[in-house]
Amino acid sequence: MRSPLLKDLLTAAGARFSERFDAEVVSAFSDPGTEAGAVRDAVGLTDMSHMRAFAMPEETGLDYLDALLAGNVPRIRFGRILHTFLADDDGMLAADCYVANNDEEIVFALESIRPDAEIDALLSLHGESCPATELTAGHAILGLDGFHAWDAVKTLFSADVLGLPYLSIENVEFEGEPVRLLRAGKTAEFGYLLIVPRAKADALFTALKAQVDRLGGRLCGVDAHDRLRLEGRFFNVFAEGQNVRDPLQLGLQWMIDLEEGNAFRGDEAIRRRREAGLKQKIVGLAAEPGSDTAVVGAPLFHGGTEVGSVVASGPSHVLDKPLALGLLPVELAYVGLGFQVGAANGPTLRSISMPPIIPRSLTIKLDEM
Amino acid sequence: MTDISNIPVPADSRQIIGRRARIINTIKEDLIRRLNLPYEPEDLHEDVSLLGSGLGLDSLDALEIVLCIENAFGIKVPDGDVSVLRSINTVVDFVLECQDGKGEPQ
Repeated sequence: MRSPLLKDLLTAAGARFSERFDAEVVSAFSDPGTEAGAVRDAVGLTDMSHMRAFAMPEETGLDYLDALLAGNVPRIRFGRILHTFLADDDGMLAADCYVANNDEEIVFALESIRPDAEIDALLSLHGESCPATELTAGHAILGLDGFHAWDAVKTLFSADVLGLPYLSIENVEFEGEPVRLLRAGKTAEFGYLLIVPRAKADALFTALKAQVDRLGGRLCGVDAHDRLRLEGRFFNVFAEGQNVRDPLQLGLQWMIDLEEGNAFRGDEAIRRRREAGLKQKIVGLAAEPGSDTAVVGAPLFHGGTEVGSVVASGPSHVLDKPLALGLLPVELAYVGLGFQVGAANGPTLRSISMPPIIPRSLTIKLDEM
Repeated sequence: MTDISNIPVPADSRQIIGRRARIINTIKEDLIRRLNLPYEPEDLHEDVSLLGSGLGLDSLDALEIVLCIENAFGIKVPDGDVSVLRSINTVVDFVLECQDGKGEPQ
C-alpha cells in the first residue's frame, strides 16, 4: 500500500488514515462536516497523494494517452487540462484522469478504483514503448480548495496565477524548486492541485498551512471532499463512480470523444451500449433534514415498485440536509418526483436539480481579488 | 435491468415528467445546434455542468445559451446571472418558474 510522502507531518497534525485502492489516505483531521464548511467559507488544505501522477514528453505522450483515454487528448491546447477517464476493456470505469499540456511535457494525474497493478496493466506502463515517468513516489500532491484558495496561491506565488482559468496548468517555483500548479479542483470552489518534489514537500505544506490558518481555513481529509463533490455535483470516482462504473449511466459522455474512428481502451463496449440505448442513469436526490435513510445500496421505490438504488450519499453543509444520487430508469430520471427509500412505504427522497448550491466562488470577479 | 412498463407511475408524476421532458428536449436540441456540440440529445445528462467543468462552455457560449432560452421560451434571463446556467436542469427550473409566474417575464 502506498503511504503519503508527508505521513509524519500529517500524523502530527492529527490525521486519521484509511485505505482507498492501494493508497493510504487522510480521511479527516476533525469532523468532515466542519472541514467541508471550511472549504465553502474559507479554504482547506488536503493531502491528495492517493492520486498517481506521471510526466512524459509531449511528442510521444499525446499519442500514447490518446490510444488509452476516452477524451480527445491531441486537442488539448498548451497550458490546458483535459478531464477524462480510463476504462477497462469492457468499457467500465477504472480511473478519473487529468491530462495537462504543460509546455514540452504532458502531465497525467489519476484517481483510480482499481489496484495499482491493474492500472499499470491498463496503461501498459511496463511496455517498452511507454514514455511515462511516474512522479508519485518522489512527489507529494497537495490540494488547496475554497472560496479564498486564490488568496493563498497569490500570496505564495504571484498574482499571475489568478488569471489561470479552470482546467489549466502553470509551472511555479517554491524555494527554488519547480512546482506544477493545476487549477483543477472538484469542490465547485476555487481549487488547485500542487505537485511538489519530495525535497520541498514538507516546506510547501507548512507554508500552505500558514496561509490556510491566516485565512481561517482548515486541514481537510478526503471524507470532506466526498461531501463537497456531491454537493457541487462533481463526478466522484470513489462514490458513484465505483458503485455504477458505466460511464454512460454516470453521465460522463462529455468526457468521451465520440467521433467515429476514435479508438481508446474500452471504446467498442461503450459504443455498443450507447447504440443499444441508455436504460438507467443517475439523478440527484434530497432527503429531509436529519434523515439518515439515504444510504448507499438502499433500494428506491416509485408507485410502490422498486425502480433503482442509492449510489452515493452524504450531508450537505450548505443546504443542511442529506443529498444522494440514485440510479434510476431513464423514464423516471426527472426532477420533481418522490422516491421512497428502503421500502415502498419508506421515507421520501425528492429528485432535484444538480448542482443544488450556488458556490460562493461563482460570485467573485477577478478584479475583486 | 429494471422494466418500468409495469410500474404504475402516478398521474401527477407523469404530468411532471411530460412537462419537464418537453423543455429539456427543446434546450438540448437548441444547444447542440447553436453550439455545434458533437453529441446526440441523449448524450447530454441534464445535470452536467454547462460552464467550466463538464461541457466546458465559455462566456460566448453562455450568451448563446441565454439567447436560446429567451427565444425558445419567451422569457428573459437576468443580466449577469450565471447561476441559472449551472446545468440543463437549473435552466429548466428557471423556465418552469417563469412559466408559473414566479420568474422574470420578457
